[in-house]
Amino acid sequence: MKTILFYILLLCSLGAPIVALSQTINWGATTQQRQHLLHLHAGWDYGLNYGLAYAHRLPTPMPIFLNIAVSAPFGSTVPDDFKTKVGGQARLYQLGRLYLGASIFGIYRRFENPLVRLQNFGSEFNIEMGYYHRRWFVAGAFGFDKAIVTHYKHTQTYREFLYAGVQDGWQGPPSGGNFHYGLQTGYSFGRNDLTLSLGRVKREDWQGTPLVPFYAGVGYNVKLGNN
Amino acid sequence: MNRTFAVFLLGMSLLVSCEQEAISSGKATAVGALVPRTVDEDPDLPSIFVNGAWLHAQTFGDPADPMIVFLHGGPGGDYRNALRAAQLADDDYFLVFYDQRGSGLSQRFEEHTYSIQLMLDDLNAVIHHYRTTDEQPIFLFGHSWGAMLAAAYINTYPDRIAGVVFAEAGGFNKQLLDEYGAMSRKLTVLSEATNDIFFYDQFLTGKENEHEILDYKLALQSPYSYAEGNDEGVEGPSPFWRYGAVVLTSFVDIAENKGFDFTTQLHQYTPPALFLYGSNNRAYGRAFAEKEAAFLSNTTLVEIADTGHEMIWFKWPQVYEAVLPYFNSFQ
Repeated sequence: MKTILFYILLLCSLGAPIVALSQTINWGATTQQRQHLLHLHAGWDYGLNYGLAYAHRLPTPMPIFLNIAVSAPFGSTVPDDFKTKVGGQARLYQLGRLYLGASIFGIYRRFENPLVRLQNFGSEFNIEMGYYHRRWFVAGAFGFDKAIVTHYKHTQTYREFLYAGVQDGWQGPPSGGNFHYGLQTGYSFGRNDLTLSLGRVKREDWQGTPLVPFYAGVGYNVKLGNN
Repeated sequence: MNRTFAVFLLGMSLLVSCEQEAISSGKATAVGALVPRTVDEDPDLPSIFVNGAWLHAQTFGDPADPMIVFLHGGPGGDYRNALRAAQLADDDYFLVFYDQRGSGLSQRFEEHTYSIQLMLDDLNAVIHHYRTTDEQPIFLFGHSWGAMLAAAYINTYPDRIAGVVFAEAGGFNKQLLDEYGAMSRKLTVLSEATNDIFFYDQFLTGKENEHEILDYKLALQSPYSYAEGNDEGVEGPSPFWRYGAVVLTSFVDIAENKGFDFTTQLHQYTPPALFLYGSNNRAYGRAFAEKEAAFLSNTTLVEIADTGHEMIWFKWPQVYEAVLPYFNSFQ
């Protein structure tokens, strides 16, 4: 056990391979007529993930989308680990083709392994600013993901082999938080967008990182509605 | 735009206030909530104070008998899953178990304070603490990282140790460490076990000195080591009290940035040395044991059948059958 942990840390300190994830909108290619947006993505977001999202555009002059998303890491036990997000995205400001967008989400996520089941409520906010053309875009992104309160339920294995006195239940104060920043880009054609995002993840104290300090992803949007 | 921005700010402030209201039934970082207390936090635990550190320690047997000091794995592990070796006390040996500093239930320290020499100084201090006479023979029994530490000790002090047992040392030098790592760290990115290691990083952060959270996070990785098909042949969970995440990180950094070589003077160590390896550890095996044994002049290699890296927990009777004749051969 000890040896493999040593090598996992060693591997991560060298930089593990990264793949993909995003939930990205080309603000330059949105229209009021296409109110529905379906999004598929895959990539690295605390593990190799895949996910699905739906966004509904509100009938406001300034584009605002209400979002719901679910994602899960790959693995043989499908329903034990996942993340759901509910929130909104808005284009806050426009100067020519320069756009400022922001999003805010409430998060429910679940993790289970042979030792514990964790359930967490958290929040995430993001801002992105960049150049958005009807066909393509490139933007910088910055965000913060906060795990606010977590419920712990430990297994008999944890109690027997590690610590019989471990406490179950809801535990606060906030148990985790990570900043992320990077680039996102995409290409739009017809009702479709192909997107790519990648960047770094830093611990909330900016002193360290998660085991893999990167996120990256590819996404596909299809816009549905009239016209 | 102003209204939209105001809504965004309102949403942010609501989430922040939610966060401030989220104090609930417990506190994850509270001492004893997720991982057990260390000896400096719980005076009821058996401990010694040596070389400026409180170390979790236990002994078995007559203090005047030949001393066997057990060195646990890690860095950061503890001696809990090796306690079956206390059986050797029935054979007139004095068994000394201790959790290395920053490991198990021993005192925690900041990352920058650790060094190989400090661990050797601690081992010297532990031996000095328990030794009853200058003539009392001292044996080392190291497992995994503990076997590496045993090599470091006899490499530095070749005339102080009567005999040594190496149970699957992860590499006597950086080259062997990398070699063993390459064979044992095959991550399958689509597997459940691999993604379990990474996914909970969004639930628990653990700042630089939040030892409870960092140690807990490391403990949650332990199922990876016994995941189905693991290369080290580990059969299942084995007990431990608490992993030391900071000391592990520190020695990973030392290995990567400074390197190490515990073989430079090993040829000066002439007493017999015993190497144990599990038949199911595909990353180690006899071939790797022979590479490590080649640095010493007088070695015996013994395969422990039908087990892997955690042989002391899972196959103690067979390990006992191998180590007892070895220790007795010095009488």
